[in-house]
Amino acid sequence: MLMPKSGFLLLLCLCSTFALFAQQNISGKIKDAVNGRPIPGVTVRVPNTNRGTISDATGLYTLAVPTGTSTLVVSYTGYKTRTIKLTPTTSVLDLTLEEDFARLDEVVVTGLATNVKRSNLANAVATISNRQLNGVAPAQTFDAALNGKVPGALITSNSGAPGGGISVKMRGITSVFGNSQPLYVVDGVFFNNSSIPAGLNDVTGAATAGNPNNQDNPSSRIADLNPADIENIEILKGASAAAMYGAKAAAGVIIITTKKGKAGKTKISVNQELGFVKVRHLMGVRRFTAETAADLAGTADNPDPAVQAKRDAYKAQFNTAQSAGKIFDYEKEMYGETGQVLNTGISLSGGGEKTTFFLSGNRRQEEGIVKNTGYFNNSVRMNIDHKLSDRISLGVTTNYIYSSSDRGLTNNDNNGVTYGVALSSTPDFVDLHPNALGEYPRNPFAASNPLETRDKMNNNEQTNRFVGGTNLEIHLQQSDHSTTRFVGRGGVDYYNYKTAALFPRDLQFEENGLQGHSIQGNTNNINTNIGGFLVNTFTPNNNVSLTSTAGATLETGYMDNIVTAATNLVSGQSNLDASANTTTRQFRQKYRDNGLFIQEDLSLIDAITLSGGLRFDRSTNNGEYKKYYVFPKGSFSWNIAKMKFWNVSGVNNLKLRAAYGQSGNVPPYSSKFTGMLGSNIGGYPGVLVDNLQGNPDIKPERQTEFETGLDISVMDGRISLEASYYNKKIYDVLLRHALPGSTGYASEWKNSGDLKNQGIELGLTLIPVNTPNLKWSSTINWWRNRSKVTKLTIPAYAIGAFGNSLGTFYLEQGQPATQIKGIVGGALKLIGNSEPKFQMSFFNELTIYKNFSLRFLIHWKKGGDNINLTQLLTDAGATSFDYDDIVNGTKVGAYRPGAGDASIYVQDASYVRIREIGLYYNVPLKNTNTIKGIRFGVSANNFFTWTNYVGYDPEVSNFGSNTITTSQSRGSNGLSTGVDVTPFPASKRASFHVGLDF
Amino acid sequence: MKKYFSIIILSLLIISCQKGEINSLNTPVVGGIITDPTRSDLFNLLTGAESGMRNNFGTYLDGTGIIGREIYRFSGAEPRFTTDLLGGGTKLLDNNTFYITNPWGSRYQVIRQCFILLDAIKNTRTEVASDAQKKAFTGLAKTLIGYQLLLNINMTDSNGARIPVPNGATLGPVITNPAVVMDSVLKFLDEGKTDLTGSEVIFPLSDGFAGFKDAAGLLKFNRALAARVNIYRKDWASALTALNESFFDLNGVLTTGVYNSFSTNGGDLANTMYLAPNGNGEVRVAHPSFVTNIVAGDDRINKTSLRTSSASQSGLTGNRDLTVWSSLNSPISIIRNEELILIYAEAKIQTNSFPDAIVALNRIRTAHNLPVYAGAITSAALITELLYNRRYSLFMEGHRWIDVRRYNLLGTLPVDRTGDDVWARYPLPQNESNI
Repeated sequence: MLMPKSGFLLLLCLCSTFALFAQQNISGKIKDAVNGRPIPGVTVRVPNTNRGTISDATGLYTLAVPTGTSTLVVSYTGYKTRTIKLTPTTSVLDLTLEEDFARLDEVVVTGLATNVKRSNLANAVATISNRQLNGVAPAQTFDAALNGKVPGALITSNSGAPGGGISVKMRGITSVFGNSQPLYVVDGVFFNNSSIPAGLNDVTGAATAGNPNNQDNPSSRIADLNPADIENIEILKGASAAAMYGAKAAAGVIIITTKKGKAGKTKISVNQELGFVKVRHLMGVRRFTAETAADLAGTADNPDPAVQAKRDAYKAQFNTAQSAGKIFDYEKEMYGETGQVLNTGISLSGGGEKTTFFLSGNRRQEEGIVKNTGYFNNSVRMNIDHKLSDRISLGVTTNYIYSSSDRGLTNNDNNGVTYGVALSSTPDFVDLHPNALGEYPRNPFAASNPLETRDKMNNNEQTNRFVGGTNLEIHLQQSDHSTTRFVGRGGVDYYNYKTAALFPRDLQFEENGLQGHSIQGNTNNINTNIGGFLVNTFTPNNNVSLTSTAGATLETGYMDNIVTAATNLVSGQSNLDASANTTTRQFRQKYRDNGLFIQEDLSLIDAITLSGGLRFDRSTNNGEYKKYYVFPKGSFSWNIAKMKFWNVSGVNNLKLRAAYGQSGNVPPYSSKFTGMLGSNIGGYPGVLVDNLQGNPDIKPERQTEFETGLDISVMDGRISLEASYYNKKIYDVLLRHALPGSTGYASEWKNSGDLKNQGIELGLTLIPVNTPNLKWSSTINWWRNRSKVTKLTIPAYAIGAFGNSLGTFYLEQGQPATQIKGIVGGALKLIGNSEPKFQMSFFNELTIYKNFSLRFLIHWKKGGDNINLTQLLTDAGATSFDYDDIVNGTKVGAYRPGAGDASIYVQDASYVRIREIGLYYNVPLKNTNTIKGIRFGVSANNFFTWTNYVGYDPEVSNFGSNTITTSQSRGSNGLSTGVDVTPFPASKRASFHVGLDF
Repeated sequence: MKKYFSIIILSLLIISCQKGEINSLNTPVVGGIITDPTRSDLFNLLTGAESGMRNNFGTYLDGTGIIGREIYRFSGAEPRFTTDLLGGGTKLLDNNTFYITNPWGSRYQVIRQCFILLDAIKNTRTEVASDAQKKAFTGLAKTLIGYQLLLNINMTDSNGARIPVPNGATLGPVITNPAVVMDSVLKFLDEGKTDLTGSEVIFPLSDGFAGFKDAAGLLKFNRALAARVNIYRKDWASALTALNESFFDLNGVLTTGVYNSFSTNGGDLANTMYLAPNGNGEVRVAHPSFVTNIVAGDDRINKTSLRTSSASQSGLTGNRDLTVWSSLNSPISIIRNEELILIYAEAKIQTNSFPDAIVALNRIRTAHNLPVYAGAITSAALITELLYNRRYSLFMEGHRWIDVRRYNLLGTLPVDRTGDDVWARYPLPQNESNI
């Protein structure tokens, strides 16, 4: 009986407050102040109520306001918000809006349920609008679209394999073995971004020797999100901004808001993209001669008759191949395909005064640059907002995604089976092509014939995912000086992830070995989050506003991953039971985190903002699972230009700001246990102590961040500068630190040191030209970060990649966390640093004659070293393109691997890249009723790169970034990006776009 | 309106008040298994220890075999088999990479497992296992500790190793005198012997222990290992004593002994030392000196097979595949009678009982299709003959490099490329020195 009763109560409340008022009708047209074009979608609202409307496609609006309303607020993203005084007689109100070049009126989310105008913001929060995301050159997946757009972030694509996989590091090294990747929040739902390995290690053995970390290169789940659905992205880079997300926010928070419907006529948009992908860069291969072919067997002066016989054989083989014209470039054959891109999106949005909706469907099909690879994504979204009354509004977002990617077999391996490793030792004079019967020759130079592997194997990942969220907002109380809202938010993110890797028994490396692998994984993952917040805004007078928030949140997660590997397959079969042997592994993880928080925001004369908050968090992943950890935050901003005494007319914004905050990073699941792993022999079940020692006292990492900055905009916002400095410290860093092997453990979980990241971020926005016929806007960002291990309570240790002789990341007190050490001349020396010296991006948008727009983004990463083991492998396999160059009297390809100098393979991975370039044309339409808009465009994505780096691409990571740790395999860590081991080469893309609006 | 507040507050409280710890969902945890273990717990622990001995044992055999110039290991994916391990160019052995850290860690991991088993036995009620039954567990655990430690000191030699300590005890220093570490190995073996004597075995062992699954068998296994340690310690008399308590049988089957068993069955480990003959890319070929140094007619040449086409990498070529193991299911020996006969021969030579030694050497020679020994009857000549037989009889079972080092003959190993080196020992792993 509770609900009806309260419903009635609610109705009563509403009636008493609003129903008695008479109404006044207002209508008008809204235009752009410079070019006079009508602006559709502008919100016209009665302040502090839900009453409002939106202008239609021709800029017209009508709104019934209660009599006695004295002001209206008119706002639209990208334009300055206006507050209009109303007189009781106003009925026609035409308006012009000025573009908000400095985006001062943009509303930025700063708390879990509160937000603030950018002009009063205390942090440098990066926002990316829909236009920047989709209007230039669409990336294959959402994650790739961020690259170059976020000052303070180091974003690295892990590989070029279809389906994405990206590492995002905000403001340096946040965590080494804890979560180093940001939290993604989509419409209030915590969006899982795990990478779950497919069990390819059974075939590649990649993690069996030099490095125990998984190298399966799985896609990351954030790639599922359809970029076309996104309205806006806000990026909270560190604890000072993200403290209200508590123990999940350490690596930053990426808040994604999807599109919502707007009241008015139903709008239908259809967008079609047609394009192609090609490899960005090929390294090239060595051209053999009869003599160099012979050298593969040993030197000419080798006395061993076997060597001489083999030399003659190679020489003969080369000559035969050459005279038959059978010299091949296998790199080109493998990676040189042109893939087709088809992307179709359709969206419907509209609604009435009470209910609005946004419905979209998207289908993306993309072939890879390697045969039999590709990516396919279907997604459907339905967002509905409903006003139950003037006081209660409800928003529901739902998203179903199906994605499937065929990712081939790349990256490191120890069995010579991946494409790249096989190619690295395959010379150009051997013929690997199938005969007329389709039989592939055995590759005498490698364990596998990469063409055969490519044509017969399959490595598919399939995701079925549902993400749904609800947002309930109730205006509980309203008076002249005080409003109180309740915001309730909940969400579910569920996916089933199916991996299937099939290696038929007749492959070269299977026929005499395990005779076929069928490895199938099935993962069910569910994350939920729910929270409730009470927000009171108290406005005693026009100069003071006080917002108080209190809330509680709960997040849970459960993952169940089952992988079965079948070997010795029945010929031609892939089912797990069509095999002689099967092994099944299961890994489950579960957590429950909850938090409580309070926050107080004070705004004085719209110029000074003071904010403070406290958050209490606990997690079942902590050693003390009942203990609440406290994370405070505080911030201050002073917009001097808004003060009464300010009379410098050219400067419209001059803001000093400072913010401090703390956040945590919970330990990974199971870090508090020392497991006993399955280890059977002779049919008896056994358990063997894990070499990773758990720690029952494990606690979260604590991050404190201080950020300060100066924002200034002059000439009516046509020049604005945002400058920030931050000092981010991480205490009690969670380390899986090395123990002496003689303990029986390789490593132990321990909170064992402190890190520091200091950096500078500069953003300059310019509008050099702003005329009705030409508008040019330009954004230049420059940023840098320096990390340092300030304290290490354990001995310095190497944390990967593949040992000291090949260069390894090395944690050492007083040194950068990202330093790379290696053996040079017998001693362990500093040989590099994976952190860039600085990064810079340059975004330009030119609008010509209203209807043409040209946009491009240039990204410059200066410095930052990679460990280039692709080159090592091609040297060892004697196939490097420059193998025969002479250095110090020896061939460089022979010199490099034997020089005993790890610094040779630690190489500068600087680049300048035109990430995106797009030219779009809006067809001017007159007097059409059905078609409202037509757009054409061409775009190119990552098409031009300038770099001295020798690999396929300077952006690479053999270890992925977010790969989960299971009982049997170690996941990614926060440092090891930039390790290059025969990756899936990166691709570039060019597309043609057509868009229609109805 | 107050009602609203109370509903909201109530729901907030519900949200923030869920309780209960989330325990390990995937595996037993160490702390749990050692408190009041059941019989199955004990069996699982012992099986885990037996199983764990195989982890990275292949890397040990590869490494010692490559440095000892028994084989080449060609790998498209791992160049360090032909660079670091052969000392290619100016390369040195890396103290922080797989060829040392992986086997090293796995041996100590088994040792840790054995200490966990010892702790579990301490907390075992007599209803679960009687004292005699417990003794069998502890006896084998201590035997395995000794054996695993021996393998590690074999690798690092005078770069040292640490004496393993029970759970919770403070780690001792790195002992750089290998003789002291060997003494400790022997001590563990002797303690194992004491426990095994008069014990009763209730636990299962894989068929790698076939014939040795009872207390008497395990005792013989223990003493066989002790004999090996004693010849390393040059304690010839004790070696002979240990041999007499082992399964040493001068006229017995050479392959009798204890093995690591492998299988491709689910959950088990395959023998990755097996690579199909005539494979490419991933190859183990005999070092060319294997065939040039073998005496004509010696049937031990059949531990390799001639390839249809020789294999090359990094300027090295080999034309005989390693065929000591014939499949992924083949067992790898831990210790077997052939070695015991050679230990007997060695101890006899060293104690100047040449006739006894020659009997043993002839037993090996004739078994391998060679005529009886006709060389000089001097200590030096017999040792040369002994080392020849150890080289070919125990080919790729992890002995040659250690043998030539014991007799200061590392300089006699062939060096194939300019700049290559013959390493005397592995470096101590970095994680042992950074402490």
